[in-house]
Amino acid sequence: MKTKITTTIAIAFIFIATLVKAQDEKYIAAMKTGMQLFSTAKSGADFTAASNHFERVAGIAKTEWLPFYYAAYTQMINGTTLQDANQKDLVYDKALELIGKAEVLNPAESEIAALKGYITFMKIYVDPMTRMQSGMGEAMASLQKAKALNPENPRPYFIIAQNQFYTPEAYGGGKKVAKPSLETAAAKFEAFKADGFAPSWGKDQNQALLEQCK
Amino acid sequence: MKKLILVLSFNLIIGFSYAQTLISGIIKDNKSKLLPGVSISIKNSYDGTSSDSTGKFTFKSFEKGEQWLVFSAIGFGFDSTKIVLDGQLIQLSLTLKEQLNELNAVVISAGTFEASDTKKGVVLNSLDVATTAGAEADVFAALQTLPGTQPAASENGLFVRGGAASETNTYFDGMLIKNPFNTQVPEQASRGRFSPFLFKGTTFSAGGYSAVYGQALSSALILESKDLPAKTVSDISLMTVGAGFNQDIRFKNSSLSIGGNYINLKPALSVFKQQTDWVNEPTSAGGTIQYKWKTSNTGMFKSYVEYSKSDLSLNTNNLDSQTKNPFSNGNHNFYSNLSYQDYIGSNWKINTAFSASNNQDNGLININQYGRTDRLAQAKATATRYIGTLSTLKIGTDWLNSNREESWDGLKRDYNDNLNSAYAEGDIFLSQNLVARVGLRGEYSSYLGAANVAPRLSLAYKTGKFSQLSFAYGEFFQNPEDQYLVQSKQLDFQKATHYMANFQKIGSGQTFRVEAYYKKYADLVKTNPTFNNNGFGYAKGVDLFWRDKKTFKGVDYWVSYSYLDTKRDFQNYPTLATPHFGAKHCLNIVYKQFFSKLKSYVGATYSVASGRPFNNPNAVEFMNERTKTFQNLSVNVSYLTRVFGNYTVLYTSVSNLPGFRNEFGYRYSQNGNNRQAIEPPALRNVFVGLFITIGDDTYKN
Repeated sequence: MKTKITTTIAIAFIFIATLVKAQDEKYIAAMKTGMQLFSTAKSGADFTAASNHFERVAGIAKTEWLPFYYAAYTQMINGTTLQDANQKDLVYDKALELIGKAEVLNPAESEIAALKGYITFMKIYVDPMTRMQSGMGEAMASLQKAKALNPENPRPYFIIAQNQFYTPEAYGGGKKVAKPSLETAAAKFEAFKADGFAPSWGKDQNQALLEQCK
Repeated sequence: MKKLILVLSFNLIIGFSYAQTLISGIIKDNKSKLLPGVSISIKNSYDGTSSDSTGKFTFKSFEKGEQWLVFSAIGFGFDSTKIVLDGQLIQLSLTLKEQLNELNAVVISAGTFEASDTKKGVVLNSLDVATTAGAEADVFAALQTLPGTQPAASENGLFVRGGAASETNTYFDGMLIKNPFNTQVPEQASRGRFSPFLFKGTTFSAGGYSAVYGQALSSALILESKDLPAKTVSDISLMTVGAGFNQDIRFKNSSLSIGGNYINLKPALSVFKQQTDWVNEPTSAGGTIQYKWKTSNTGMFKSYVEYSKSDLSLNTNNLDSQTKNPFSNGNHNFYSNLSYQDYIGSNWKINTAFSASNNQDNGLININQYGRTDRLAQAKATATRYIGTLSTLKIGTDWLNSNREESWDGLKRDYNDNLNSAYAEGDIFLSQNLVARVGLRGEYSSYLGAANVAPRLSLAYKTGKFSQLSFAYGEFFQNPEDQYLVQSKQLDFQKATHYMANFQKIGSGQTFRVEAYYKKYADLVKTNPTFNNNGFGYAKGVDLFWRDKKTFKGVDYWVSYSYLDTKRDFQNYPTLATPHFGAKHCLNIVYKQFFSKLKSYVGATYSVASGRPFNNPNAVEFMNERTKTFQNLSVNVSYLTRVFGNYTVLYTSVSNLPGFRNEFGYRYSQNGNNRQAIEPPALRNVFVGLFITIGDDTYKN
């Protein structure tokens, strides 16, 4: 009798473990496919396809924040390829919605707060004259939160530095102001190690901007 | 053990999975346009794809049996359909309906110019108001560059489409402002009391406005205050006319702002020769306190309290005795506004507000002591029900108590009115392209002992991606002006009926609007032979507006033109005539450009208006003479810099740079033998200000 129960439990465990493993493998495979779509994306349509893919993954892997994160990130890049202001707004709103869902899953993740700040910046740039005043505070608050959650994360430093770089001197930006910030970000990129699917982008862009400051 | 092996091999089979099904097809929108970028997938599985640039899609699925195919795209919402997966190729033709949203839906635009920092498709924003040359950050002066208004430098207020200044009312977070201007000085326009930087949205309605607002025959100016400031900052302003400061303190979910200013026009007015014979140039001192509290994710409480005091005295020419008559004014103004709004559930929103104000004027006219006190209290509540994506239904009620006391050498008179109103209004989207706004407002005035019912109707139809047509009709009632109410209890509501048709095209960076209107006045107050409501009149015209931010890089300009044909018989008029605020043609050109190398923002405004009617008592016909053409060119430069590392704007403006000699009419002596032109107080005005913001550490760290 006892052996029978043990066997049943053992079978159940193996069964569940196999299922979980299968799910896990499916998730990893799906993420790999997504990263593949992302790394080969060139047009807005490609980034949309990558974003759609990550969003589907997010719908299944309900506890993972990374699918939503990448869905938001690729959607934001899609926004940069568009011309029409209304379309840009729709796409950035979608990106904000996606990163918002990631935030619900993991409110203390520095990477999420950083990307949220980044997308908010992009939304300001659709119509800077009218949105600068009301939006800057919100974007900066999110980026400062990202720094506080993980001071070693280079991305909030890079995003702020990049924004300084592209802000006209008259409004307190410019290369001079951006250079030390880009250097700080560069040092943080050197020290930062990302594993698995964790975000690792930004180092090259940061370096490229730094070159232009010389 | 056998069993275990069996189960394990079964698990392996799961890993191997079934045969796959190929799903392919095409996806279009409800107008048969092929849709790229649509996400298509099997519900609860990783299997899916996105449609390509021609709306085609293909993917494989290992799922089996009956499944939901779900598809969605940005701006198009979400849909699903049932399919059966059995290894056989599935061919689909799907449609996805465009979602109703604020960006693509039709908006009611007849009569309305909206300036907003947050909404889409608006014509101006608060920065536009602040940087219009010649306006010196005065909301009312900036609005005088929009079509439908008249340049008015000799009296307070906005003259809209043949309406007197008293026919335009100003609302602060939904509440009527009794005294939106500094005290009227003889033959001079005073500035508005409120800074444009207090507001995130300004809606200027030249007619046909919402049933939520009443008591304005011609026009409503609706100001919506800002939410919480983003951070703690101090603002200091040093100007040729005085100095001011403002401190914003930001807490987690609330903010406190304290401001103060002192204005003394003496130094500025002594630079250029003044028409006005000042004894004591205007001085004023005031302060504001604002507290804002975000009570929840959606709830907001705001309070605004302001007090100011001003003094001035001058001499006017007595054209009969050829001597000087003294005039003086001391003003105390208190204004407060409390408001609260929140959502109840997902379908209801409530707005409640209370405001109270007290405005006192005392002084001397010639040898006579005068006094005037206006008190106003208002409570208002509106409930909005959201229906579907865009449609709304509003109901509300409004209590307004107005009280005026006047004294003249110790003699007193006063009136007190309670105006109770109720209103209902629906914004009904019949489709994405057609919206109807149907409203009804009812009012009862205790002092007049009369009631009115005012229907309002607007329709807007989208004719293309960027263009739309709008129509509006409405009836508008207003109590007679205070100066008449204190003298007579026999008066009734005055009435105006508006009809207007509007075509508007808003592309990226370019806006074109044309609007034709007809306005019929009835029951206007006449003062002859006794006070009565037998006045009447009409106004009709065409307004044109063109704004272009696209054609010239870094340049933003707008052109507005108004044609007006109006006549009325009111006040002491002996007959139907065009009033002094009825200039036939008005043209404004507003130009703004940012020079990034010079870190400077440059603006210019040119206005021209045909002569204003005035009455020559020696002429046979009443109000039959015209002043000469009005012209003005004003320029301003804002230089952005840093003072001790703090964000600073150096602002300079010159009004009437070329020195056009303008006149707004003539004042005649009793016997008609002498006359004097009503002119701007100075040929030119120069204003210089330094505005410093401390604590804006956006780029530190």
